[in-house]
Amino acid sequence: MLLKGIGFTLTLFIFTIVTSIPLGLGLTFLANSRIKPISWLTRAYVLIMRGTPLMLQLFFFYFGLPFLPYVGKYLVMDRFPAACLTFSLNYAAYFCEIFRGGLLSVDRGQYEAARVLGLTGVQTTFRIVLPQMVKVVLPSVANEAITLVKDTALASAIGISDLMHYTRSLVNSRSDVTPFFFAAVFYFLFTLALTRLFTRLEEKFKF
Amino acid sequence: MDMLKLTDITKSFGENKVLRGVSLSVRRGEIVAVIGPSGSGKSTMLRTCVGLERVSGGTIELGGRALVRDGVYVRDREAREICSRTGMVFQHFNLFPHMTVLDNLCLAPVLRGILDKKSAAERAAELLEKVGLSDKADAMPSSLSGGQKQRVAIARALMLSPDIMLFDEPTSALDPELTGEVLTVMRGLAADNMTMVIVTHEIAFARDIADRVLFMDNGVIALSGTPDEILVNPPSERLRTFLRTFNHSAQPA
Repeated sequence: MLLKGIGFTLTLFIFTIVTSIPLGLGLTFLANSRIKPISWLTRAYVLIMRGTPLMLQLFFFYFGLPFLPYVGKYLVMDRFPAACLTFSLNYAAYFCEIFRGGLLSVDRGQYEAARVLGLTGVQTTFRIVLPQMVKVVLPSVANEAITLVKDTALASAIGISDLMHYTRSLVNSRSDVTPFFFAAVFYFLFTLALTRLFTRLEEKFKF
Repeated sequence: MDMLKLTDITKSFGENKVLRGVSLSVRRGEIVAVIGPSGSGKSTMLRTCVGLERVSGGTIELGGRALVRDGVYVRDREAREICSRTGMVFQHFNLFPHMTVLDNLCLAPVLRGILDKKSAAERAAELLEKVGLSDKADAMPSSLSGGQKQRVAIARALMLSPDIMLFDEPTSALDPELTGEVLTVMRGLAADNMTMVIVTHEIAFARDIADRVLFMDNGVIALSGTPDEILVNPPSERLRTFLRTFNHSAQPA
């Protein structure tokens, strides 16, 4: 049973990481857009997603959306897709802020050198700017990823059968607290593995 | 033919007029040194020639093609193409820190489809030898000294076989004992008849290498002439004052 819960927890984690990082990067470019309304909207989005509790957002996306007038009936989602969507949108906002800082850290001279060498904007972004940005943002991204491991436990609040959910029901039905211990060990080892992974990545991006 | 021709270019940052009508033509093979106090507009003038700063008015032609005519710029794609025949060397080198020296050299010509990987690597090897850094091809920029970085930056600009090289204070960020190696490389370019515009504070070097020296002051070319005319017998009090403060700082008493 716990293994099944771990499956949901891992899936939610992987889905969120894989979607929210590119989404956050996209938001970063929108936030830096020269078209002011786009930049404002993006920043407002980030402000709202970071300024309200993730659990509240979960309730909103799962229970709240269907009650919206007119469009509500098209927004009915199963628990798990609702959780995936919420986590992804929420973490994208955090990643957006992290990447925005990283982007600011890339020296103006890098853009100028790329320009006089005749690189296009896209080439400059992917070959010059992003690799340097990655180096700067890696520690913060690692931090977010670790937070996410533990945030996945919030999904049990809308009844998703993740590790936390099974742990609690086992503890209740058997009047035995050892499942808490197993869950703690799992979260801890997962976090440890991530820490290791990111330390290696940081080694790679030392230049 | 003029490799570079500026006609009455002007540039303002808000109220501040940085360039107030600068005209200049540089012939093929000519070496022009630009001196002047900081804030006189010499770097800005150089940067406008490669589109890093936009002028408010005037005409800039590179190799006979207008980048901007009477303050109106050509389209961005065309601008990049016109500027692509011009090499630029920055005060702070601006090497790409996440790439080896070899990749710094090969990136632009390969990405732009000018050279394939193999011929780019061959050309890079030649140029690294020319700047005396054959053994540094696989080094990361962070492991190089300032002088070495600047020599790599020069080699990187040469990879695109530019018609003209612009130097924006190439030795100003270097420790005094490292300027020599960079100036030597530039002398080598001069010997190859490279057309060059050099913004510099190295007065002795300018006297030595330049065909023509410009003294910029307050957004205009105040004086222009041979090194002897400008530097040996300075014709204006303002220039004399500038050169004097210079000698004081350059030569410890």
